[in-house]
Amino acid sequence: MRNSVLGAAALAMMSMLAGCDMIGGASEEASGDGTDTVALAEFPERPLWGDTHLHTDNSIDAFGFGVRLGPDDALRFASGEEVTSTTGVTAKLDRPLDFLVIADHSDALGSTRRLYDAPRVMIQDETLLRWYDMMHESPEQSQLAIAELITAAADGSLPKSLTDPERQKEATTTIWNDHLDTLDDFNQPGKFTAIAGFEYTLMPGGDNLHRVVMFRDGSDRTKKVLPYPALSTEVTGLWDYMDAYEKATGGKALAIPHNSNISNGLMFELTGPDGGPMTAEYARRRARHEPVVEVTQIKGDSEAHPFLSPNDEFAGFGDAGWELGNLDMSGAKKSEMFAGEYIREALKRGLSIEQQIGVNPYHFGMIGSTDSHTALATADEDNFFGKHTGNEPRAERGNEAQNLGTRVGRFGWNYLASGYAAVWARANTRAEIFDAMARREVYATTGSRMTLRLFAGFDFADNAFDGDWVRDGYANGVPMGGSLVGEGKAPRFVVSALKDPEGANLDRVQIVKGWVDASGNTQERVYDIAWSDMEGRKTAGGKLPAVGDTVDRAKATYENSIGAAELNTVWTDPDYLPGQNAFYYVRVLEIPTPRWTLFDAVRFGTKLNAESAANSVSQERAYSSPVWLNAAKKGA
Amino acid sequence: MKIPGWTREPLVHFLIGGLLLFAFFAWRGEDVDPASRSIDISREQQARIALQFEQTMQRSPTDGELDVLVDQYIREEVLYREALRLGLNNDDAVVRKRMAQKMDYLAASRAETQQPSDTTLQAWLEKHPVRFAPDSQLSFDQLWFAERPAADAAKARLDAEGRWQDLGERISLPPSLDDASSSDVTARFGSEFVTNLEGAAKDEWEGPVRSGFGFHLIRLRDATSGPVPPLAEIRGQVENNWRAATMAKRRDEAFRILRDSYDVTLEK
Repeated sequence: MRNSVLGAAALAMMSMLAGCDMIGGASEEASGDGTDTVALAEFPERPLWGDTHLHTDNSIDAFGFGVRLGPDDALRFASGEEVTSTTGVTAKLDRPLDFLVIADHSDALGSTRRLYDAPRVMIQDETLLRWYDMMHESPEQSQLAIAELITAAADGSLPKSLTDPERQKEATTTIWNDHLDTLDDFNQPGKFTAIAGFEYTLMPGGDNLHRVVMFRDGSDRTKKVLPYPALSTEVTGLWDYMDAYEKATGGKALAIPHNSNISNGLMFELTGPDGGPMTAEYARRRARHEPVVEVTQIKGDSEAHPFLSPNDEFAGFGDAGWELGNLDMSGAKKSEMFAGEYIREALKRGLSIEQQIGVNPYHFGMIGSTDSHTALATADEDNFFGKHTGNEPRAERGNEAQNLGTRVGRFGWNYLASGYAAVWARANTRAEIFDAMARREVYATTGSRMTLRLFAGFDFADNAFDGDWVRDGYANGVPMGGSLVGEGKAPRFVVSALKDPEGANLDRVQIVKGWVDASGNTQERVYDIAWSDMEGRKTAGGKLPAVGDTVDRAKATYENSIGAAELNTVWTDPDYLPGQNAFYYVRVLEIPTPRWTLFDAVRFGTKLNAESAANSVSQERAYSSPVWLNAAKKGA
Repeated sequence: MKIPGWTREPLVHFLIGGLLLFAFFAWRGEDVDPASRSIDISREQQARIALQFEQTMQRSPTDGELDVLVDQYIREEVLYREALRLGLNNDDAVVRKRMAQKMDYLAASRAETQQPSDTTLQAWLEKHPVRFAPDSQLSFDQLWFAERPAADAAKARLDAEGRWQDLGERISLPPSLDDASSSDVTARFGSEFVTNLEGAAKDEWEGPVRSGFGFHLIRLRDATSGPVPPLAEIRGQVENNWRAATMAKRRDEAFRILRDSYDVTLEK
């Protein structure tokens, strides 16, 4: 009897649903890749700002860390609306972002949420049971549970039920498809772009080899696949997955490595992943699938390290704490590991490998992103919501140990309010943003929004800036991310850095050059090419005097009374040798400004400890994607 | 308040009754007959399992892989049924939340799948014009100066001579923009500049005004908030907005109907 009543009700409902055409919530324009939805500019007019690396409550660790904000909150926040953070603070960006990639961990997508909600009697696994109890005990215990979880994922001792892909699949499918619908709902071509992605969390022994995977496409294509899990896979498996996706759907995907600084030397190896010589096939696949890396984010900055670049006085930015070991601190750092961890060295290694096997595996551009686990993409020093919900704004977060659960090493102030991705796209759509990333016409900032243009060529005039220099740059040169073929003469660079209209003035613009010398060794040099007050600041002993410091430590304020609104120059490499293979990228430094720790100290009336206070002022920066100079091929 | 017509329809009452029963039995865990210990896996079900594999790997599973998948499916089904027999779904936060979500979904599903008529959407557009109004479009000229005295001097020259093109200092900002959206102008020039620009008189050189870059002389040539586009141009956007609002309304209405039949007492 009961069943027949239910059956009738169900039947009635089914027929009601079947009577209408099933359609999604979003329009055709919003659910595609954005092609033909908005007019394309002749060339990119302004950088689009975004975060390609944001976690929400669908991420196994973010949920455990406490976040209860989902993708829709994340998208609302990124597009400029006000939301209430998990800890109850209202949060709003000073300026909206132009795009957002939500990159929740693919492993057990959403499963921490299910664990949290599960009845206790269902949990038979002892480890899960302990985590479950910790999560319900207190927020602090919840974070400790997640720290254990990260360690377990790293050493391969995760409970079977969390790693079994088939058991997770049904839940993952629902969450993924719901998520893709949400993205389409918020995607507004020309105004705000919501991009599908996930994080591939490869982490052998705690060495961070994570990649964010982002898709070019709308849900018509992305619904045909599921995020690729990382546990017990290799990165070549990820590339197989991406190839299969592209082949099956006609769509496109790219992968963005991040936090090479805590990979203990594994992210940019000279060898192949098996320890043998790198094959040309591996190098080619890597360069094709991974055209950009995330150079700066909350967990430190991976551009350069003083150990590798002793002559670069600015190389140590964002290294403190992260240089001690790998992600979970299960492996301590040895100095020989640094070379496989920092981007500048990787670019040099790329040239060196190319010389040996003919292909450059590390032919990548640079972006910044947050890796925030709060669903809030914050990279502004005065509006920073922290790595995860446990360090959303509160009095002591800068002074405390923040070791992701371990008892050694890292403190709150080691975390950076960084960074964003700047994309030179011709329109704000999924396809245009993706394509700009694929051609590396992108740059990284540590959170501030300076405008950086770079063109390289051989024939730029000294007065290039007098005319329509952007059009001329595209016509007679290559933009950042591009390559020049050697013509036997020194390359010239048209470089313009314009300050963030709401931010600090600029201190200096530098070009970082890397090359392989005649004896096959890699070399680097940092050139100051333009700086503020060039009359007053004369280079002495090869060193440019510091720009000064206007930061009021007691009030967390600064003055734009030093520095410049724009720095630009046409620069020629003075040390060029014919036949040289080299890369050149631009680094822009702002004048010193207060870090988030100093804003916290003033806001909450707390006293920073000595180490934190010594690191409470920094020079925000931008890194362009490199331009490569390839010597003309012999006989070509 | 006027009760919407659809709440008086017998079909709706029937459905809500059915839903209640459905939810109740789902809650009590008795919708699967505990006595049933036979599991039939049809060819169709096997095909579905194979399809899901294909979705991730973009290739069909081998026979061995499919066997493993089917075994896993059986395992899950057995455990699921036994869990229901034991009533493990009772007071389970995730089941509870999921069931509530499904009720919401059912209440809103008609709105989700309904194809609204042009008349409905036109009315919606006319009721909420602000939501669909485009960003204001700004056309202007500007000259930039690092320091205020230079800007003052240039303003004096401009007023006297009327020529402006070569008076400013060089900066990588466009001297003129036509029909640029205010959000784009804000991204390039900053909010202070746009506030000044939007407050400026038309076709007059004004300033110096401040921006994050320094000082500007500005001439606003045109500022249009733009008419709300006709429905045909923004049908998708209007439909989205209408659908989201209608779904939320349906959910609330359905809940209110259900809620009214409950007595809730809060112990003080």
